[in-house]
Amino acid sequence: MNNDVRARREERGLSQAGLAEAVGVTRQTINSIERGRYDPSLELAFALADFFECRIEDLFHPDGDE
Amino acid sequence: MTATGSAPTVSSRQRYRRLLFGSIGVGVIANVALRIASYPIAAEAVYWLGIVVALAAWRFSPVTLFDERDDALERRASQITLVVMAVVLVLGASGSRTLAALGVYEGSPFVAGALYGYVAMAVVFALALAWTARGR
Repeated sequence: MNNDVRARREERGLSQAGLAEAVGVTRQTINSIERGRYDPSLELAFALADFFECRIEDLFHPDGDE
Repeated sequence: MTATGSAPTVSSRQRYRRLLFGSIGVGVIANVALRIASYPIAAEAVYWLGIVVALAAWRFSPVTLFDERDDALERRASQITLVVMAVVLVLGASGSRTLAALGVYEGSPFVAGALYGYVAMAVVFALALAWTARGR
């Protein structure tokens, strides 16, 4: 699954640790999500979308989609 | 939410995780060293001290030490371990029986004990699976 987490995080000038703190996970988890090495649970995906004030489908895309 | 500075939860999590794993590591290493130095009672005492500190770090940490990615990694590692265990058990049990029947090699009590240990692990896994599957 592709995602725009890194772009949106950087837009806000947040560190990975800062985003991790905001959504209650480890920095390594945010790093893995951004690198596409870990697909978050629905709960975490909702938390991230909520934090970035967008819809999940605006943040996460199936492989192949931009 | 601030954009700068280190997040307190993240740094606390790292600190407590270091304490948890570090105390176990130090306890085990000290245990081995003291046993080699012929202080068996002190070895067990320091081992248990490490375990107690690790449990305390886990229990009293003000932050959640492990998140869903940790759980996913653990699940994946457990699956790999089970596959390895199953392959070793199937091949090892059959192989040792065959070799014994052919009179080539009689398995030592150590090998038999290891294989029975694997069987016990498989039984525990089956019971745990049945228990966790209840109501799901």
